Amino acid sequence: MEGKIIVVTSGKGGVGKTTATASIGAALALEGNRVAVIDMDIGLRNLDVVLGLENRIVFNIVDVVNKRCKLTQAAIRDRRIENLFLIPASQSDNKDVLTTAGVERAAKILKKEFDYILMDSPAGIEKGFENSIVSASEAIVICTPDVSSVRDADRVIGLLYARSITPKIIVNRIVPQMVAKGDMLSHEDVMEVLSVELAGLVPMDEQVVIATNMGMPLVMQNNSKAGQAFRRIAKRLNGETDLPIQVPTHKTGMWNKLSQKLGFKK
Amino acid sequence: MTIEMQPPVKLKGVGDGFWVTLDPSVSEDKLKEEVTRLFERLKHLTINARITLDTGDARGCENLIANIGTFLKNTFDVGVVTTPPAKRSVPLERIRQRDLSKGWTQHRSEVLMLRGRVRSGQRIKAKKHIVIIGNVNPGAEISAGGNIIVMGRLMGQVHAGDPDNEEAVVLALDFRPTQIQIGGVVAAGIDENSDAVAEFASIDKGRIIVQDYLKAEPFGNIPWPEVI
Ligand SMILES: Nc1ncnc2c1ncn2[C@@H]1O[C@H](COP(=O)(O)OP(=O)(O)OP(=O)(O)O)[C@@H](O)[C@H]1O
Ligand SMILES: [Mg+2]
Repeated sequence: MEGKIIVVTSGKGGVGKTTATASIGAALALEGNRVAVIDMDIGLRNLDVVLGLENRIVFNIVDVVNKRCKLTQAAIRDRRIENLFLIPASQSDNKDVLTTAGVERAAKILKKEFDYILMDSPAGIEKGFENSIVSASEAIVICTPDVSSVRDADRVIGLLYARSITPKIIVNRIVPQMVAKGDMLSHEDVMEVLSVELAGLVPMDEQVVIATNMGMPLVMQNNSKAGQAFRRIAKRLNGETDLPIQVPTHKTGMWNKLSQKLGFKK
Repeated sequence: MTIEMQPPVKLKGVGDGFWVTLDPSVSEDKLKEEVTRLFERLKHLTINARITLDTGDARGCENLIANIGTFLKNTFDVGVVTTPPAKRSVPLERIRQRDLSKGWTQHRSEVLMLRGRVRSGQRIKAKKHIVIIGNVNPGAEISAGGNIIVMGRLMGQVHAGDPDNEEAVVLALDFRPTQIQIGGVVAAGIDENSDAVAEFASIDKGRIIVQDYLKAEPFGNIPWPEVI
């Protein structure tokens, strides 16, 4: 069976695309899939750092697309997680070195090799975005609970629909205390505007910064709430569609769990 | 079946003259005959009398009226012959009768009707009216030569009556545009967190005002549906 290409995108920068790509990719591999995560942010390479694979780069995605090397030469195998591969971006080129036709050709080979191919898209809706979505069949749109991020996510959703790619949403960096006080948009507020399928909700978590700086996959940290949220997202993508979406909360007391079960709104 | 027979010619005295109602579906000769019959009874009263020839709301009777007028002047020495002053109610009535009987099929109103969600960065433009069954997100732009109606939540930017029709309105079931323009008048959206009520914006004394649609009933006093 052919693999699935999922693009991770957002419109707005810095909302967690790279974090999500690395985490979901790692989690899908932990579920037993052959996974490639591809850094499409040409010129602003990040994914290798987040995964701690920076020092093993020889070839990159530009080399693959422009046939300077074989796919197997550019795919870096992760030593901690079996079946997880990274194809890094080139740091020296700019977005114009890739063409959509070139990416599509590479995508055909990738689909034969892997079960899941996650494309970490650059911010914006220009050339780099076009290259990232050209061969994708699904999209995950990352947004944070703020008005400008929602606006940009909405724009991107429109562009994806125009290409018949059905997007799902991840709301990242939720701070439950702020939501409770009304200082941050709730995920309901966000979904009211975006109204597409919700893939999951990820809380603000300092473990993300720690894991990123150490180059450790977040999803292997059992004490990371964000990591666990990404694991659940991966499970749902991988077919466990019944797995309920957990709403991040700040209290973990008995009462809170109970009230959620009873369907109260906090 | 009963067919009500209306006399083809009716005569009524008005002030210094006579009001003659003619049935234009009857032949000219027959009308002349009837007119003669009635006018002969008036004897000398017809001389220099002011005559109004009324063919009801039928159209294209100019020839008939001219012929009968000349006939009356020559035969009965009448004075001025005129037709009834054009009354607004007469053609309106006719239009409504026609609307009723023909079921509006002959009317064309240019409306762009869409359903679904209009998203940020999407722009919708229409020559005349726009109806959107769905929501308009912040960052979306709608512009219409006529009215804009949103059967849902309006959160984007709208321009009704583009470029200069200040009669246009914007109506939404939940009215929260970021910016609104009617004709050449612009207003920023109001950011009040009120409940969803149907509201509409229109121009009043050069300013855009927003009112509760069901309370203000802007079109409630138009007694009959009309095509816009
Ligand atoms: N859930 C989270 N909790 C805390 N910090 C987070 C979370 N998600 C992302 N971050 C932090 O936010 C910053 C931006 O994340 P990331 O690089 O993944 O975003 P991006 O969308 O890929 O950015 P760019 O548009 O520049 O590619 C990083 O410092 C990351 O550690
Ligand atoms: Mg990134």
